[in-house]
Amino acid sequence: MPKPSSVHNRRPLRTNHGRHQSRIHSRLMELQAQLAAAQQREAAALDRIAVLESRLSTLQSAPDGDRERLDTLLAICSALLVIHDVEAILQLISREVARLFPGTRSTLVFLVDPDRQQLALRATSNGQPCDLILHPDQGLARRSLLSPRAMLLTGRDLQTDLQSLLTSQIEQTSVVFAPWPPTSMLLAPLRVEAQRLGVLMLCSGSQTDLFHPRDLPFIQTLADLSAVAISEAQQRERATNLQHDLAQIQSLHAEAQARLSTAQAQLLQSAKLAAVGELAASVAHEINNPLYAARNSLYLVEQDMPPDATQRPFLEIAQNELGRIARIITRMRDFYRPTRAELTPTNVNKILIETVELVQTHLRHNRISITSDLTADLPHSIAHADQLRQVFLNLMLNACDAMPDGGCLHLTTGVLPPTNDRAACVIIRITDTGTGIAPEHLPHLFEPFYTTKPQGTGLGLAISAHIISQHDGQISVESTPGAGTTFVITLPVVSS
Amino acid sequence: MSLRHIEIVDSDPTAALVTQRGLQVLLDTEVEVTVAPSPDAAWLDCLKEEVDLLIIDPNPQSRAATSLVKALRAYRPHVPVLVLTAYDTPRLRAQMQTLGVQHYLAKPIDLLDLNEVVRTALKTATHTDMMVPLKH
Repeated sequence: MPKPSSVHNRRPLRTNHGRHQSRIHSRLMELQAQLAAAQQREAAALDRIAVLESRLSTLQSAPDGDRERLDTLLAICSALLVIHDVEAILQLISREVARLFPGTRSTLVFLVDPDRQQLALRATSNGQPCDLILHPDQGLARRSLLSPRAMLLTGRDLQTDLQSLLTSQIEQTSVVFAPWPPTSMLLAPLRVEAQRLGVLMLCSGSQTDLFHPRDLPFIQTLADLSAVAISEAQQRERATNLQHDLAQIQSLHAEAQARLSTAQAQLLQSAKLAAVGELAASVAHEINNPLYAARNSLYLVEQDMPPDATQRPFLEIAQNELGRIARIITRMRDFYRPTRAELTPTNVNKILIETVELVQTHLRHNRISITSDLTADLPHSIAHADQLRQVFLNLMLNACDAMPDGGCLHLTTGVLPPTNDRAACVIIRITDTGTGIAPEHLPHLFEPFYTTKPQGTGLGLAISAHIISQHDGQISVESTPGAGTTFVITLPVVSS
Repeated sequence: MSLRHIEIVDSDPTAALVTQRGLQVLLDTEVEVTVAPSPDAAWLDCLKEEVDLLIIDPNPQSRAATSLVKALRAYRPHVPVLVLTAYDTPRLRAQMQTLGVQHYLAKPIDLLDLNEVVRTALKTATHTDMMVPLKH
C-alpha cells in the first residue's frame, strides 16, 4: 500500500490520481501475462495427459494383443506339426508372420546352404521369386545368423548393415524389401541347439516405430518353432534319401553278389570240366603211343600178307577200329581245348579291368583295396577272353581268401622282349598282401585236387594253369609266408 | 649217292621200333633208319655228321629231347628235325616252332603220311658246311 503523503510534500490531486491508474494498468498487464502463461502450461499439461492416457490405453490393451499372438503361435505350431515339407513350412511362416506382426511390409526366410556355406533366400511374403544369396560374413547375415536371440535393428545400425550389401545384392534386395530401404527390421536366427539353419527377417517399410522390443520374444518363439519343424523335415528328407540310397546299394550289392556267384559257379563248373579234360588229355597222350604202334604194326603185317589171305578182312577191321579209337581220342583231347576260332587278339588290360569290376564289391566287403600299374598300349595276346577272365577271377578270389583281415591287391602288366627260347610275352602279376603260402605247398599248387582250404576243391589253380598252358603261356607263383603272394602269368603276344 | 641216315629218338621203345621198321620198309634201301638208344647218343651221331634227319618225340617228363633240339639248332642247324610226338599240345607246338623245328607231326599218324613228310624233309635237307664249332 502507498504511504499517505505528508503536508509539506503534497502535490496536486489530478497528478496523483493519474499515477495510480498507471500502476493499476501495469499490474493488470502483468496479471494477464501470467494468466496466458498459466493457460499455456495448462494446455501443455493436458497434451501430456492425453499422450500418457494414450500410452496407458496402449499398455492396458497389450494383454489382449499378446493373447491373440499366442493364439496365432499355437495355430502355427499345430500347422507345423502336420507339415513335413520344408518348402511348405517356409511358405507358412512367411504368410503367417503378418498375423503376428500386423503392418509388416515384407518377410524373408533364408536357409543355410551347407554345401556352399551361404544363406539362400527361400521364401518371401510377397511370393516373388528371388535368387538372393547372402554370405555369412556379410554384416546383415552375420549379425542375424550368429545372434543368440532375436533383435530389433533400427537407425544407424540398420543403415550400416544394409550398406554392407553388394550393389547386385541391393538390386535384388530392393525387389523383396520394398519400399527400400526399410527403416526397421526384426531379425531372428533359425536354430536348433547349436545348429544354425537360417534367418527370419521382418521389414517395416517406412514406419519407424512399427516394431517394438516387446515383439522380440514372439518372433524368437516363431523362429524356434519354425527351426524345429524345418530341422525335422530336413532330417526326414535325409532319412528318406538315405533309405533310398541304401536300397539302391543293397540292390547293387545283391546284383554284384549274384554276378560273382554265377561267375564262381561257372568257374567251378569249368574247373571240373577242365579237370576231366586234363585227365582226358593225359590219357589221350598215354594212349597215342600204343595206338600208333598198333595201327602201324598192322599196316606192316598187311604189307607182307598175300592179297587173297583169308585174314585180310579181319586185319582191315582191326585197322578201322583202331582208326576209330584214334578219332575218339583226338575228339576227347580237343573237346577241352579252345578252338582256333575262339582265340582272338585280346587286350589283357581290358580283361583284367573287367574282372576287377566283377569282384569290386567282394573286395570292398573284405576291406581289400586294389591298386594297379597297367602298361599302356599293351600288345594283344591271342587268347580266349572268357577263359582268361576265369583265370584272373580265380586268382583274385584266391587273393581275397588269403587276406581275411583285409589288405591290398596289386595288379601289373608289362611286356617281356623276345629271347632265344621264346617269343615276346605279356607279363601279368597279381600280388596280394595276405598270409602267403608255405614252401611245402608250392610244388603242388597247380596239381588237380590239391588244396589247403577246408572248403576248396583243388581245381581252381589246376584249371588256371591248364588254361594258360593252352594259350602257350606260363604261370608261376612267388610267395613269402606272412608277407603275401604273387602269381606271374606270361602270354605270347601277337606276332606282327 | 651215299646212303642217307634217319635216326629216331623216342622214349617209348615199341613206338620207336614201329617207326624204324615202317620207314625202313617204305623207304627201302634209300636210307638207313635206326633208333638211338638215348638222346645223348643221337647227339654224338649228329656231331659226327652221321645223321640226315632226326625224328624225335619230346617227352614232357624229360627235358633231354628238348635240350637235344636246342643243341642241334645251335651247333648243327643244317640237320633237319622232325618232331613226332604223342604229347601234342599247342604249347609244345609253339615251343618247337620257336626252336626252329620245321616238321611237326602228332601220333597216332599213319606210316604212309609219315613217309610223305620224311621224304619231304630229306629232300630239303642239305649237306652244308654250316657246322658251328663247339664251345669249350
